[in-house]
Amino acid sequence: MSVTVADAESAGPGSSRTRSARRAADPPPRQKPAGRRRTAELLSARSRRDFPIFLLLVLPNVLLIAAFTYRPLLTNIYYSTLNWTLGSPTASKVGLGNYREFFTDPESLQVLWTTAIFTVATVGGAMILGLGLATVLNRPLRGRTFARATIFAPFVLSGVGIGLVWVFIFDPVTGLLGAIIRGFGGTSPQWFNDPKLALTMVIIVYIWKNTGYCAVIYLAAMQAVPADLVEAAAIDGAGRVRTFFSVVLPLLSPTTFFLLLTSILNSLQAFDLIRIMTPLGNGTTTLMYDAYLQAFGGYNRAGYSAAVATILFGILLVMTVVQLTLLERKVHYS
Amino acid sequence: MTNPEFEQALTRAQLAQRGLNRRRFLSFAGLGAGSIALAACGGPSTASSSSSTSTAGPAAAGAGAPAGSSGAGSSAGSSAGSAGDAAEFAGVKPASTITFWSNHPGDSADVENEIIKAFNASGAGVTVKLVTAGSNYEEIATKFQAAQQAKKGLPDLLVLSDVWWFRYRMSQSILPLNNVLAAAELDTAAYREGLIKDYQYGGEQWAVPFARSTPLFYYNKEHWKKAGLEDRAPKTWQEFAEWAVKLQAAGTGAQNAFQLPALADYAGWTFQNNLWGEGGGWSKEGTFDITCADKESVQALQFLQDAVYKGKWSGVSSKSATDDLSAGAVSATLGSTGSLVGVQKAAKFDLGVGFLPGGSVSQSPVCPTGGSGLGITASVPKENQLAAAMFIKFATNPENTVKFAQATGYLPVRTDADISGLVKANPLAKTAIDQLAVTRVQDNARVFIPGADQEMAKACAAILTQQASVQQSMDGLKAKLEQMYASDVEPNL
Repeated sequence: MSVTVADAESAGPGSSRTRSARRAADPPPRQKPAGRRRTAELLSARSRRDFPIFLLLVLPNVLLIAAFTYRPLLTNIYYSTLNWTLGSPTASKVGLGNYREFFTDPESLQVLWTTAIFTVATVGGAMILGLGLATVLNRPLRGRTFARATIFAPFVLSGVGIGLVWVFIFDPVTGLLGAIIRGFGGTSPQWFNDPKLALTMVIIVYIWKNTGYCAVIYLAAMQAVPADLVEAAAIDGAGRVRTFFSVVLPLLSPTTFFLLLTSILNSLQAFDLIRIMTPLGNGTTTLMYDAYLQAFGGYNRAGYSAAVATILFGILLVMTVVQLTLLERKVHYS
Repeated sequence: MTNPEFEQALTRAQLAQRGLNRRRFLSFAGLGAGSIALAACGGPSTASSSSSTSTAGPAAAGAGAPAGSSGAGSSAGSSAGSAGDAAEFAGVKPASTITFWSNHPGDSADVENEIIKAFNASGAGVTVKLVTAGSNYEEIATKFQAAQQAKKGLPDLLVLSDVWWFRYRMSQSILPLNNVLAAAELDTAAYREGLIKDYQYGGEQWAVPFARSTPLFYYNKEHWKKAGLEDRAPKTWQEFAEWAVKLQAAGTGAQNAFQLPALADYAGWTFQNNLWGEGGGWSKEGTFDITCADKESVQALQFLQDAVYKGKWSGVSSKSATDDLSAGAVSATLGSTGSLVGVQKAAKFDLGVGFLPGGSVSQSPVCPTGGSGLGITASVPKENQLAAAMFIKFATNPENTVKFAQATGYLPVRTDADISGLVKANPLAKTAIDQLAVTRVQDNARVFIPGADQEMAKACAAILTQQASVQQSMDGLKAKLEQMYASDVEPNL
């Protein structure tokens, strides 16, 4: 039986007749091959049937993430609206007062500036040195395996242990570096008391600790660079430097992107070395360390600390989104 | 109809009709649990937010300030601890096991264990478990605050430093001790007046002196001899400025004649000596009137800056000034009496100690008290609180306070302790004990404003390591301290 449009319009809304009429009036959908259509139907039915099982399987992970990531995140945002002494059973609501204080306090500008310097210096330093070391280690040298292990070792060592050792090295009075400088008739710089030198000192140690990580990741990527491309560049008359910058480096861009992303996140959250080497944060108070100092470093201002942590979270989020949306376009995936 | 089978069948049918089979039910149950977890944000109560800022303060004396006083300190110290009422703990049986958090001040782990072992074997029926909860007062405070927040893993008693106990009192984390000390029959009158009063506020005792100290003047006698100086500590800083020139010229091999203590840990505490000597202070005695920017205080800190940059006879320690002295790198420094035994062990030279030098205005009392006491957690069961008080009584009895002092250099905290053996074994300890008679209660601004110590250290670092203007630095510090008092202390008094 054929159904006309007029018939469909004369039928009441919602009637089965109307729906069939509309289906008949629509242009015919592109026909899938019978086999594919059957598979899609099966998959769809199966998906529907398996959905609860899917939920059941992912639920433990979802709950864990909700309990240990999203819940603390939301709780922290809530705490940032309180004037609250850590450990106190009571607090008063201050709304955005903690944020206002942060953005109007001149010391906050210094904290943001220190965070920027620390992040740029440590990420840039570790990646450039790591790339250089990877380039050297990628060549057939004697003792290469030993050198790789040595360079990578600081990355896996405890930050606290490393911090304590470097404190001894840098101590101007009783430290190793001071003794060497005095041996040459000089005077040791005041690494711990001068805020600029304190930041320099922590940056040096942080780069030393993380260069090995960048080097190993770059090395793995370099070994995956197709040899025929390098050979082709050589045949075309490109020297080593030209080959490196025009062939190898572009091919390493996915690795560079990955390292940039992870290193920036790590540097913004650096804590152990700063805490051990400069407990007062004299010149080395980054956003992360400020959050710690405000809650635990003597001030006991848990609400303000939560606001600082939330601001840090916002910065991390924005930077990650920007990197994923803008920088990734520059990446060459082979 | 009341047939249960029919009702069950009906329910199943209804569920099936709504498409709620077992799997879907489990899914929803899981999501529901997740939502509850998300919603269950623990934390402080804000229901009484107004009351949190208007809590009726205890019957504080004086200018609303915690009123400790010490031997020579006058202060508004009229809020002495009142007699407790043991009836609150009547019928309470002490817990069989309690936990004690310590940072082992003055490398005291061994002597702490020794005292605990003796207590456990004393027949009190209580076993004390010692936990290392940090390597300094700040770390133990961090751990305690985290445990308070988590509301689990709390100690029954812990070491409380001079700058931390009042914060715990404000956050209601520690127990007012009058009643429990009365129940444990601990007589606070037997303790040195200045030391016990340091922990009194609003008629309550909040801690009991344990590892108490003062700063001490340490010097290298060999360097003194080379410079032709009398074998004593200088009477005033002005006198030492003259001596320092001789020490610098004597070819002792030291990098500096004097080493100012590491600012992060000691600036707020030890510089009170310089401030008081010139008639200044962080705050006016017994009040929260901030006086660090007054001309007397500025003059005192200007003297220190000049010692570093003009006279060039003083350095600033990066980590530990007493370690610098022990290594022979400097001729003299200030350090805690709690470091005495450690310095004696480490130094390869003849060590001298003396009272802190005075200033051009005052020569005595110019020595602050310091160190730590023992407090009891407010939220643990009464049984544990009583057992903790029993241990405090034992750990600070006349014999044990001397034993602790002998092992560390901290001061015996009781007047009835026989210190003759201690002085005979370590004659330098007598100087530290004698200095107790000329101590002064610390400035309120340092010990009662959370974070003040850090701000003082930062301001002093600017003055002594970056040659910042003393007046401007102190003006900035004053503004900061006043703001911190208004926001963090005043509402909680």
